[in-house]
Amino acid sequence: MKRNKFSQLLKERILILDGGYGTEFFKRGYGEMPGELLNLQVPEVVESLQREYVEAGSDIILTNTFSANRPKLASLGLEEHFEEINFRAVQIARKVAGDKVLVFGDLSSTGNFPIPMGSMDFEGSVQVFSEQAKILLDAGVDGFIIETMTDLKELKAAVLGIRNVTEDLPVIVHMTFDSSLRAVTGTSVAIFASTFEDLDVDVIGINCTLEPEEMLPVFKELAKYTTKPLSLEPNAGDPIYDGKNLSYKMTPEHFAIYIEDFVDLGANIIGGCCGTSPNHIKVMKKLISKRRPVQRNISFVQSFISRTVYRTVEPFTIIGERINPASRKKFQEEIVQKNYSTLYDEATSQEKEGATILDLNLGIEKLLTPEHFKEVMVELDRRSSIPISFDIQNSEYLEIALREYPGRPLINSAQVTEKSLESRIQLLKKYGGMLILLAMGKGIPKTPEERFEKILEGIAILEENGISRDRVLADPLVLSLGAKKDPRVTLETVRLLKEAGIKTTMGLSNLSFGLPGRAEINGVYLAQAMEKGLTSAIMNSGDIFVMGSMRGALELRGEMVTEKEKVVTDNPMVEALLSGDQNQLKSLIEEELKEISLLEVSQDILGKAMEEVGDLYAEGKIYLPHLLLASETAQPIFEFLNSLSGEERTYQGKVVLATVEGDVHDIGKNIVGTVLKSGGFQIIDAGKDVPAEEIIEVVKREKPDILGLAVMMTTTVGRVEEVAELLKKENVQVILIAGGASMNAQLAERFGCDEYCKNASVVLEVCRGLIKSQE
Amino acid sequence: MYTTKLYIPKSDEIMPSKRAYFFRAGFKGNPIVLDDIMRNLANSIYARGLEISEGRLFYKTMPIEEIPKLVNGMIIIPEIFKNIKSITFFVSTLGKKIDQAIEDYLAQQKVLQATLLDAWASEALEELNQSFDAWLRDQSGEGTRRFSPGYGDVDIRVNNFILDLLEVDSVCASLETGILLPRKSTVCMIGFEGGNYETK
Repeated sequence: MKRNKFSQLLKERILILDGGYGTEFFKRGYGEMPGELLNLQVPEVVESLQREYVEAGSDIILTNTFSANRPKLASLGLEEHFEEINFRAVQIARKVAGDKVLVFGDLSSTGNFPIPMGSMDFEGSVQVFSEQAKILLDAGVDGFIIETMTDLKELKAAVLGIRNVTEDLPVIVHMTFDSSLRAVTGTSVAIFASTFEDLDVDVIGINCTLEPEEMLPVFKELAKYTTKPLSLEPNAGDPIYDGKNLSYKMTPEHFAIYIEDFVDLGANIIGGCCGTSPNHIKVMKKLISKRRPVQRNISFVQSFISRTVYRTVEPFTIIGERINPASRKKFQEEIVQKNYSTLYDEATSQEKEGATILDLNLGIEKLLTPEHFKEVMVELDRRSSIPISFDIQNSEYLEIALREYPGRPLINSAQVTEKSLESRIQLLKKYGGMLILLAMGKGIPKTPEERFEKILEGIAILEENGISRDRVLADPLVLSLGAKKDPRVTLETVRLLKEAGIKTTMGLSNLSFGLPGRAEINGVYLAQAMEKGLTSAIMNSGDIFVMGSMRGALELRGEMVTEKEKVVTDNPMVEALLSGDQNQLKSLIEEELKEISLLEVSQDILGKAMEEVGDLYAEGKIYLPHLLLASETAQPIFEFLNSLSGEERTYQGKVVLATVEGDVHDIGKNIVGTVLKSGGFQIIDAGKDVPAEEIIEVVKREKPDILGLAVMMTTTVGRVEEVAELLKKENVQVILIAGGASMNAQLAERFGCDEYCKNASVVLEVCRGLIKSQE
Repeated sequence: MYTTKLYIPKSDEIMPSKRAYFFRAGFKGNPIVLDDIMRNLANSIYARGLEISEGRLFYKTMPIEEIPKLVNGMIIIPEIFKNIKSITFFVSTLGKKIDQAIEDYLAQQKVLQATLLDAWASEALEELNQSFDAWLRDQSGEGTRRFSPGYGDVDIRVNNFILDLLEVDSVCASLETGILLPRKSTVCMIGFEGGNYETK
């Protein structure tokens, strides 16, 4: 179905998606077989379920291809069937759908996120989604849905992958969030919605993890941050496993109670996720069959976004200018040599000083390669950087950096010339974000009126190409006072732009170039420009006078700069952990070693610092990337301490980790392993999809203090019980803990586990407590 | 004798639309925008109503000639039921627990909860009637509009006669006012040009 037709349909009525697949297959006795294999071996089971969904009232059914991307199938040993599984899935769905119901190709995570959250190359990830989308497209889908995503960058790869094969069909994008309004990777609902507002997708939504009542506040947040149509698929509560059967507590009627609330909040497409059945869809359809989509009046708030940081453009954006090696020869040489330590230091210090976003200029681009841009983007992302302004002149390099960026960028900049604007328009359409538009064509206009007109000319071209003026930061051009240029021309241009409702920025430091008393000149001028209505400046956030002038000017306007979102901690060791500063951490540890014993440093100092990091994570003050960065920073220091210890054992305990048989997800297990290692535990990773017997063998061999089992899928949750029973049968003494998306405290207790670990933030505390209780 | 039959609704057949429920409770607007506290409360009352309702519907279809024209001087068949050959009488109820829950809320000074549950139950009962209405017309044809004593030319006290006719004990009506107990009950009739009634 063409996108404009689909968009029209969404205006006319609320569309009903289908419900759960995996849990329904399990109920129907096919829990042992990978769901996608049913397309080939027992297609009538898939067909029958989809027919029930259509009879229940689904307007859109999804192909049974949720885990049918190549890496996922390869991990199940089914790679050779990749094409056939996808092709047959569309055939089955098309047969059921006829011409009255739409068929959307279903895609989801590969199980290995793009770097830095995983190990897959971004372009590789794009390719994975592209090849799956191509098969689904050729087989005849009406559109695509990308579901249950937790990594913003992987979702972006999926969208780019689909758009590589078609620009004509609609694409629905979903992420999954917990009730804290954050995905496990730290991305908030606001970040997700605002990032995808500009991207080439048709509907934005959420699914899984939460039941309807819990999903309401998440959905409400989503509706606040995007003007695009909205969709959702809640779970039918938490899974209940009685040892034989898997069920969900929420009845179709109870599920449906909340559905109209979503309609009131603006939902355009509603379906169900885990645990929902054709009956859930039927009851839901009945209740909302007479409802029409609600018209939402949302004015999109312009913002800059990184994976974990959301910053609004107004009241004032401080664009930190110091990642720029101009006139800093050593810094330029470091970058060329791929030594980015100064770059990361500048990023960290500007953030601490209060920069809203970071201007990224790697200097003389002729000396650089695509890898320089990739590496810097990945590492800034890994360090949970604040948002980025891409001050990159070479279009190829600029696009490479934008592709790697999980967020909403600022592109710095374009002149009002056909060539300059054309390339930037393509990038803005593909990667979203905002543009700094310079008030110049081939030359710089002299008068304020001419500069103003030049900006209007540029905006007209952008608007003709679908880029609204809201997405522009106009730069009226600050020229050097030392070159006898009149700074009042720029101020007057700011005033004219402000009157026209156009946001502005300027390269403030240009003004005082080569002059003494730069801080005073820049600070006073900034205050004057802000009085005329300036929205933003590229400036030195480390200049106390300039920053003070900015704050003063804002206060006179009755506003305050957007508050810093990063955690402030009094513990320098925690600060070093959170900023990934291994050198600083090591020197702090060495200082401690002068006073106290190795064991105390390891357990009471570094161990406690990691505990504080865990607490900050549990309190929602930092996010998963911070936790991982801290863990990765701590690990080499623990190893360093161990190397000093000789015979002295500094490990807190030994833990064997495994993902149970039939389950190929290991991201969660790896995160837990990283966190435990950082807390001083020795980790033995037994891998994923590990049969119970094999797990027992590893435990017998390694003799760990704790065995940790990960289980992500509802269909494999019973494997935990198998392991517990086998441990008992063979009289193997080990503390058993379990966690993962499908586990809960009740199940853990029922299966005979000693503890349930809700997430990575509690695992350290739980394991320490268990070890202590053993002692 | 014509037999009285029992219609037990599925849960979703007593689920009113939120919009109808909210309107009945006094909320206005399109969409009806409630803050989180009110929405959560309204939803919990919806869930409670659904949990404690004991929806039942008793019905009997009789040929027109078997139905008395008058009872205690009151007409039974409304004037608007022209050219019909049979009437299906029915009594629907959500049971006693709803009444009790509303009373309990009031006794605890929880007037808002009582108001919401009362509104929900009224709409749930209407939903039950509509479900049965649709099912019945599928069986018996188009028929007249659904009619209840107390409207038009039929006195509300005719409720007693219909309850006797249906031999229903779980719902009763005041002899003086015709008001039904449990409160969330209705007495209705639909006339048909044909009719699926059992012969004597």
